[in-house]
Amino acid sequence: MTRLAATLSALLALAAPLAAEEETSGTLPMDVPVMVEEALAAGIDHAYTGPWEYFVGGGASAFDCNGDRLPDLAVAGGTAPARLYVNRSAIGGELNFEEKPDALPANAREKVTGFYALDIDNDGYRDLVTLRVGENAILKGGPDCSFSEANRAFAFDGGRAWSTAFAATFEPGLPFPTLAFGNYVDRSAPGSPWGTCHDNAFIRPLDGKDTPDYSEPTALTPGYCALSMIFTDWNHTGEPDLRVANDRQYYREGQEQLWRVQSGRPPRPYRRNDGWRRVQIWGMGIAEADLNADGYPEYALTSMGDTMLQTLDDEAEPDRPVYRDVAFDNNATAHRPYTGEDLKPSTGWHADFDDFNNDGRLDLFIAKGNVQQMQDFASYDPDNLLLGKAGGGFVESGDKAGIALPRRGRGAAVADFNMDGMLDLAVVNREAPVSLFRNTGGSNNGSKTRPMGNWLEIELQQKGTNRNAVGATITVKSGNETRTRKVQVGGGHASGSSGFIHVGTGVAERAQIRVQWPDGEWSAPFRVFANNFVVIRRDATQAQYWYPPE
Amino acid sequence: MTRRIVIAAVALFWQGLTLPATAGDEPWAERALPSHVDQATLQGTLDRDTLFDLIERGEKLFTAKFTELDGAGRAMATQAIIPTKRKRPPDNIFQRIAGTDANACSSCHREPVTGGAGDFTVNVFVNEGFVNADFDTTDPQFSNERNTNHLMGAGLVELLAREMTADLHAIRRDTLKKARETGEPVTAALQTKGIAFGRITAQPDGILDLHEIDGVDTDLVIRPFSQKGVMTSLRQFSVNAMNQHHGMQAVERFGTRWTGEADFDEDGHADELTDGDISALVAWQATLPPPAIETPDDPAWQEAAAKGSAMFDEIGCNACHVRALPLENLKFVDPGPYDAAGTLRGGEIGGAVYDLALTDWADKLERDDQGRWLVPTFGDLKRHLITDRQVADLGNELLGQRFVERNEFQTAELWGLASTAPYGHRGDFTTLDGIIRAHGGAARASRDAYTECAEEDRSALIAFLKTLVIPQ
Repeated sequence: MTRLAATLSALLALAAPLAAEEETSGTLPMDVPVMVEEALAAGIDHAYTGPWEYFVGGGASAFDCNGDRLPDLAVAGGTAPARLYVNRSAIGGELNFEEKPDALPANAREKVTGFYALDIDNDGYRDLVTLRVGENAILKGGPDCSFSEANRAFAFDGGRAWSTAFAATFEPGLPFPTLAFGNYVDRSAPGSPWGTCHDNAFIRPLDGKDTPDYSEPTALTPGYCALSMIFTDWNHTGEPDLRVANDRQYYREGQEQLWRVQSGRPPRPYRRNDGWRRVQIWGMGIAEADLNADGYPEYALTSMGDTMLQTLDDEAEPDRPVYRDVAFDNNATAHRPYTGEDLKPSTGWHADFDDFNNDGRLDLFIAKGNVQQMQDFASYDPDNLLLGKAGGGFVESGDKAGIALPRRGRGAAVADFNMDGMLDLAVVNREAPVSLFRNTGGSNNGSKTRPMGNWLEIELQQKGTNRNAVGATITVKSGNETRTRKVQVGGGHASGSSGFIHVGTGVAERAQIRVQWPDGEWSAPFRVFANNFVVIRRDATQAQYWYPPE
Repeated sequence: MTRRIVIAAVALFWQGLTLPATAGDEPWAERALPSHVDQATLQGTLDRDTLFDLIERGEKLFTAKFTELDGAGRAMATQAIIPTKRKRPPDNIFQRIAGTDANACSSCHREPVTGGAGDFTVNVFVNEGFVNADFDTTDPQFSNERNTNHLMGAGLVELLAREMTADLHAIRRDTLKKARETGEPVTAALQTKGIAFGRITAQPDGILDLHEIDGVDTDLVIRPFSQKGVMTSLRQFSVNAMNQHHGMQAVERFGTRWTGEADFDEDGHADELTDGDISALVAWQATLPPPAIETPDDPAWQEAAAKGSAMFDEIGCNACHVRALPLENLKFVDPGPYDAAGTLRGGEIGGAVYDLALTDWADKLERDDQGRWLVPTFGDLKRHLITDRQVADLGNELLGQRFVERNEFQTAELWGLASTAPYGHRGDFTTLDGIIRAHGGAARASRDAYTECAEEDRSALIAFLKTLVIPQ
């Protein structure tokens, strides 16, 4: 570990003089979102705690569980009970949550590392996949944020592993989603923890059943201590593969993984002869976004030290996933704390591409925090908010935005909690209170807070299977610019958000939306005005607006 | 006191509003914009002196023949309202079709007074500036050719639109509230100032069904400017126009905040128009006196006009060309309440209020029994279909504009009509009789009634329309 840290420090020393000009001048051209931390005032007093097994995990899920379209919040607790908070925020006002103590079944509240929400059984209620140290649980969602254990009903064996990652996709012809669970160290294996990573699980629903039947899991071997996973259509084939971020701390001869997932066939890992290059990092979190709007996503991979930003290399082909790291070129390495005196390498966890300042450009949030007391890594390690720049690349604004707190961040959920068009942020911290940041508007180099750019928030609906259109692509075109979003379940670090998809449109006051539905069919173009919540139903000829209660 | 005298009297106050454009300019410097207006000096309701000072600055900007030293031309920017780069710089600073096509606002808005309309010679070619921005043909597949509108009374028009938007939004809010409370769908008519914009249906879950709205955008914002009714405010229009026609780029849209560049058009001039400059342009346009109904000296014309006025109502012209719309308030808040990012908004700055009651013309406006000012626009600020299968002369555009179909236009306000020939959105009609006969679609019945009238009735209607003038 000492040698690794020394190597990282040497790399950091080389990188430091090349920091962006903005960082040294202290001025930024764009709006910096002013994020006001108000968890306690909002009624959220919660920390993610526990011994070694809970050094990782610490997730949250923002999703609507009572049908009012405001995102509610489920937060993992580790050895503390997980909690579900119902969103009672005033529209455009201060955040306000009310805990619903009996929302989650008692058994499922303990030893929780993370949450992901999706409608598994197509009943119109999002269910909650609960990652745990021990048996994972699928909680079936019902009215008014009620959840019931559904492992038996869905023939789902939650296993005994230490689960830390999850992703889901709807494969063609299957009535329910395919689930992937990422597991960490197998604590019962001889020699644990070194070189004893648990296999991951890939579970297709059995066909021909009226209710989900997950009785036939497939082991994804080898597992390399997964901390994040995501189904991603990296090669634009319409058939997402499974990307897994793995923690090199515990694997031997492991690497980052990409599993080819073809309908009806068992997954197989891409290998060196497929063009897949070995990357060994402390892979903690994944986020994807099509930063250059070429139809092929880029990936942020958080780690200890440098965050990677991977893009398809020129050598890549539809069946050859060759990636190169462009984090340095884009000022996205986020390799050490950007403020304070601690110059040791950072430890990155949750990653999320979103547009926090509504300028039409994607930003990158990274939750940061020392594993526990790793002395070779920064102990004061504030979360990053890398704002997208007009000419490409990013510039750090975490301290200016107000999110640089002395807390050990882990998972996070990015959502517009008060439905004002500006993205808010919940960060789960290890052994420290959850941070809940309300986005109050933009400031430019100390100016008064002011309205930021234009925005859209888009909800997709379809009937039958996959009601929330997981796997759909949304394109928002204004002028010559096209902004792309994917509807996904997975990634980040044990955390995610589902519900309205937010798109900042900058100075564009109107846009044309097209949707590529999960089965590949493109919608007609929908003409919408910015600063609206848009609901698009499959086969509808016109988009509809939704208005929050005033 | 005339407007000009007042302006001269307050000229001494200029220093307070001014920021230097470039230090040390000689008096003969080839620069039309020797200084910028400082927005920080424009706070709260402006007193008469400050307002007229700002108006004067606005007139200077409206009539300025911008030079390359001011930043005229847009070497690497298209005419698009979203800052968009060109692929290559143009050969010349001016290009009469794709632009930049004018040296000054007043070179087109000039008849019969500055701020007025324009002849066919000063038609503009509207292309959104994203695809084929460098078009060099008048072929309608590349642009919509439009005649220059007059701006007289524009402040009143914007105030009407704002009040109508507020009404529509209140209806929307109440309808949604009622649907949520009752748990049942609720349908409501969208009606404001006597103008009907269809109806909406709110669902109990907050979804709004908009498929029955009529003549207004789906966000229920009345956009009163341009022939299509697609521009929200004088401010938005001014920012657009300054870039399109002159290559003078406003900081509030083209500056570093949104584009990352102080000199987006790469012509060597940063921050070409300040927020204050745009405010001055807005103040000048917003306070332009409205057109008037002139009483002819000729008794025969008076008699014919009176008869024609009755005819106007009788054959239904007034269904869309509504004689006057009532206005509650003459305070023009700048920036306005309905602009989107990219045009300065309230909340971004303190903003100012231009009280139109301070103008010399305000007390000439009629008021109704509720004390509301009656703004005689002869319009409804609503879009209508203007062609049909038989009458399609006004359907000569090939491109929709900003979500509005090619043959749908906002009702032209008729005030000032007699001073603004030629007629029609392209200026294709040299006579009023011609443009009336070209009305199809939603106006077809009135048009047919006109054509079926006796000759003397048609003549009377023309006599009336000829009294709608822009005073000189």
